[in-house]
Amino acid sequence: MKVRLAPMLALSMATLLVIGACTSAAPTNTGPQTGRTGGILRFGQSAADVGTLDPHFASGTQDRSLIDMVFNALIRFKPGDGTQFEPDLAASLPEPKSEGAKQAWTFTLRKGVMCQPTDGVPAYELTSDDVVYSLQKSADKNRSAYAGEYSGMTFEAIDPSTVKVTLDSPLSKALLYPKLANYSGGYIVCRKAAEKLGADGLKTHPVGTGPFTFKRYSPKEKVELVANEAYFRGKPQLDGVEFLYMPDLTSRELGLLGGQLDVANGTADIAWVEKMERNADAKVDVFGVGEVVSIHFNSRIPPLDKLPVRQAIAYALDRAEFQSLTGARVSEQVFSPVPAQFMPGGLTQQETAAKGLDYKSDRDKAKKLLADAGLANGFTLNMVTSELPSYRVVYESMQAQLAKVGIKIDLKVVDHTSMHSTIRLDTNPIVVYVAFRPNADVYLSQFFHSDAIVVTGKKPNTNFSHYASIDSLIDQARSEPDTAKQTALWKDAQTKILQDMAAYPVMFTNLVYARRKGVDYGHELKSVLALYPGIDETTRLMKK
Amino acid sequence: MNAAQSLRDRDVVVRPVPARSQRRRMWDTFVGNRAAVFGLGLALAITLLAIFAPLIASQDPLAQDGARRLTPPDDVFPLGRDAFGRDVLSRILHAGRISLVIGIGSVMLGGTVGTLLGLVAGYSGGKLESLLMRAVDVLMAFPSLLLGLTVLAVLGPGLEKVILAIGLLLSPPFARVVHGATLSLKEQEFLTAARAVGAGHLRLMRLHILPNMVGEIVVLVSVWTASAIRVEASLSFIGLGISPPTPTWGNMIRDGTTHLINAPWLSIFPGVAILLTVLAFNLLGDGLRDVLDPKLQQ
Repeated sequence: MKVRLAPMLALSMATLLVIGACTSAAPTNTGPQTGRTGGILRFGQSAADVGTLDPHFASGTQDRSLIDMVFNALIRFKPGDGTQFEPDLAASLPEPKSEGAKQAWTFTLRKGVMCQPTDGVPAYELTSDDVVYSLQKSADKNRSAYAGEYSGMTFEAIDPSTVKVTLDSPLSKALLYPKLANYSGGYIVCRKAAEKLGADGLKTHPVGTGPFTFKRYSPKEKVELVANEAYFRGKPQLDGVEFLYMPDLTSRELGLLGGQLDVANGTADIAWVEKMERNADAKVDVFGVGEVVSIHFNSRIPPLDKLPVRQAIAYALDRAEFQSLTGARVSEQVFSPVPAQFMPGGLTQQETAAKGLDYKSDRDKAKKLLADAGLANGFTLNMVTSELPSYRVVYESMQAQLAKVGIKIDLKVVDHTSMHSTIRLDTNPIVVYVAFRPNADVYLSQFFHSDAIVVTGKKPNTNFSHYASIDSLIDQARSEPDTAKQTALWKDAQTKILQDMAAYPVMFTNLVYARRKGVDYGHELKSVLALYPGIDETTRLMKK
Repeated sequence: MNAAQSLRDRDVVVRPVPARSQRRRMWDTFVGNRAAVFGLGLALAITLLAIFAPLIASQDPLAQDGARRLTPPDDVFPLGRDAFGRDVLSRILHAGRISLVIGIGSVMLGGTVGTLLGLVAGYSGGKLESLLMRAVDVLMAFPSLLLGLTVLAVLGPGLEKVILAIGLLLSPPFARVVHGATLSLKEQEFLTAARAVGAGHLRLMRLHILPNMVGEIVVLVSVWTASAIRVEASLSFIGLGISPPTPTWGNMIRDGTTHLINAPWLSIFPGVAILLTVLAFNLLGDGLRDVLDPKLQQ
């Protein structure tokens, strides 16, 4: 059969023009809100499945973001800006009161906050009983992964709308508020639902007071949320959210560009950002919180038990080489474990350089240090890396950089969950960790306090270097009421870390998400602790 | 003498074909098969490029340059640079060494093990034959990639482990073919004659059976080399092959998928390398089968 090409081409072109005319009418997200827009927002997240939806155990990005849509806390970080606090379930931000050596914080609950209904538990008004139950759960190491954050704290329901939190040792607002805010253990679960569902039920069936209500979980596919019509800040603009698990970046990218997704998690790579920005239908948001990349040296594994060897590695590494693989717009170099750019207590480049602790790349010096340590011919280290690009890039760059001074790294690539398990078994001589923590105290406590040493610590956490030389500084800073003195103590602690080269701070990488032009999050994006742009009652979808 | 009688007489006169003449005929058959000659030439070219990769590659395949990452192909870097700023051409050339070592090494291993199993099973018969061939059947029941995954999940990644895993996958087909050929050969009269003059079992297998199935084995070797390279690429693609930073065609394709839209050359060029290599060995295998298979000759 003879095909007549010209008419077919003309027909195709005409069809494309019609489709183009229809789709190009998508409005932008500027301008005031006028009426409810509705629609289901489809969100592609970089994970294969749910980790856990119990907010007091969740730590993965995919879980934190979903939990944030379902739960509230007494206090919340301002939407889109993780540097400011505002009341959430509490009617106002409290001030501390001294009670002898103790410190008390009293929260008055907002009226009319409804716990979402679930099977066998109809909707009911949240009371102080729920809040106390939830905070006690957070403080219980059998029911929470963040129990250590709440040690020395007691919770009491004064009346149905008043909760009193008493601290054995006083804390500043800067340290207390994050513990009770919408982050990790601060999320408030509804007691009746939690008791009805049990510990296992909560893992896949979150019930809170937030703008969206859990509807359905399809393993390895998606979680569906619907608008919570009884939400205390008003009915959400969206009808719901489809939270899709899509571990492959290219699939998410094509899903967004093809219109099957409205929001997609991207990657901290400037090449990806610029590529997506070239597409007229997509908008890319690069925002905080910056997750800090640090390289921790296990001082129990020879030859890393020798300070000159750890220093040699530090001098062999070059922050600029690491950063060149992500791009300046999505990352920034850091010179202390606490990032000075957005957190008090961090050391700036100038401060570390003045102390001679910036470890500016000097491979000749590194070789000399190795030779002096009797390792002129180098040595080999075996370690695992996660398959995630954010980890592999750092491990493989480190591998190439250390090879230049004779240090060979044999890398084994494993899935992300396996990497987290393995490094907590104390087997990796060098651990690359990418993490955000809400303040200097949490960074230092979790990564450098002896209690947090992996396997052998009193409360094993993420002290991979087995560092135990700044416990007193951390403890002292935590209870220091004077902000300036507290900051000085944190800086002293980090000076010691760098002198002992327990960890090499590399850079922080920002969060990268892409969205269709018709998506309006409802707030400016500066930094979000839940590691996603923040979908709430104000988020709108304007694509029709 | 009538014509029919004459034809019968000619039929019974068996003229021994000189070995040189037989080799000549085989060579003529092979050379006459243009696809096979192309396959041989391509396989030789790929092998030479892989062997001399350190001399041919203009760049260190592991040298990173973040400032020039994802640079498209140009005069200096004809196949572009990857996400670490490494030269894609140099990495493909060096990856070829890994792929060929794995392809040839695993076929040698699988071929040796499979040939021995098939030979012993076919020659011995009885319970030993049943035992060995059922074991082979069990191995063949698993999809090759699944079996490779299982072995590597237990052993962990690494060149020698990949060779071991793929070699294990390849031994059953060799065993099946050799077993069948042995069953056929051991009924031949020349074997009875050799047995009659006192040849032992080992001698019979080594000098009388094995040399008569070299043709089949050579064909299997060339065809399965292609398969071994393909399986290695698949295992590397899913992250179970060779560990970074060593390049293999499979892990290059996988790493390129992240940048498939803005830097397609990262996946396309190693994909082409796999395609050409697999094609070369398959064409070569087909050509050898045409030459060595007596049925096809008739």
